[in-house]
Amino acid sequence: MITSSLQVSSLDFAAATGWDPKSQGMCRGEVCVPAPGALVDGMVDVEQAAKSLGMPLLHDAQHGVWALGSATATGRALATAVAADPTLIDRDGNPFKLSALHGRKVLLVAWSTY
Amino acid sequence: MALDVEPAHTYQWIDAAAPTHPSLIDTRHVTGDLFGFLNIPMAVWIDEQGVIVRPAESASIERSPMRDIEIPEGLPERMDRMFREVKSIPDDSAEYRAAILDWVANGAHSRFAMSPEEVVAASQPRGDGEARAAACFELGEYLRRTVGHDAAIPWWREAHRLFPANWTYKRQAWTLITTPEGATENDLMQGPNDVYEGNWLDDVLAGGGGEHYVVRPALEPTG
Repeated sequence: MITSSLQVSSLDFAAATGWDPKSQGMCRGEVCVPAPGALVDGMVDVEQAAKSLGMPLLHDAQHGVWALGSATATGRALATAVAADPTLIDRDGNPFKLSALHGRKVLLVAWSTY
Repeated sequence: MALDVEPAHTYQWIDAAAPTHPSLIDTRHVTGDLFGFLNIPMAVWIDEQGVIVRPAESASIERSPMRDIEIPEGLPERMDRMFREVKSIPDDSAEYRAAILDWVANGAHSRFAMSPEEVVAASQPRGDGEARAAACFELGEYLRRTVGHDAAIPWWREAHRLFPANWTYKRQAWTLITTPEGATENDLMQGPNDVYEGNWLDDVLAGGGGEHYVVRPALEPTG
């Protein structure tokens, strides 16, 4: 997640990281990680959330942005088998969410031109 | 789904394939972070409820003709060695293709479909280095898009250092250096360059050779 502020809305945080800020902590699928102080009045304290989820937080002072790395709280790439739902784009540049394919089997294949 | 910071680079391939399924582009490589892709081709299987039933693993479904090519004599040394390493990359394509078809036919009853606990346990390790590398790559991509290519390079170099087993971070960065702007084909050699410390052949050798290049799918032989 790239951000120019360390206070972001819970909706933006969830969309960017896949972790949904809730009263019981940061949740993805059936997994909730306690995150005291991370959610206040619908806003996420990025530093607190990062600490709770084991996310590295990098700062590029020259350009005034932070980058939040992935969660390490479980030690695996997947904290849950519930598939993340990032917003990708299609061939014509339109946003596409994987959840649009619910109800069908999905073989998500990563390829590249390089 | 293509992992490419430049969507336009993918168009000729998508258009030539004319797929009937969704063909997507991940310009920020976020799916590498979210699913554990670190090379291509890799895939995850997701069931009708949106639950992953196999984690990220190598996903070739046909044997590359490169594996059976007879290496001509007299090639330049680096090219000869590259051919040899490519030929040593494990080939599980027939087994993986059969496993996909088994899952399509049998769904949750397929012997290749894992439980949620098995999927999580079999997913890629994720420590501070891998997580920090993901942040470095995304920050580099953001700066490349908003500031310029040069701004990305220090962050991408750091991503490569932190997570040397991630080939998509490296090959994405290398190809932007070793492929001339406007070229219709990428430089598949991805050789030594003045910007990054690594290159395809030397990094493959540093990682133990072609036999360690892919995350092999844990499949039983189909016999």
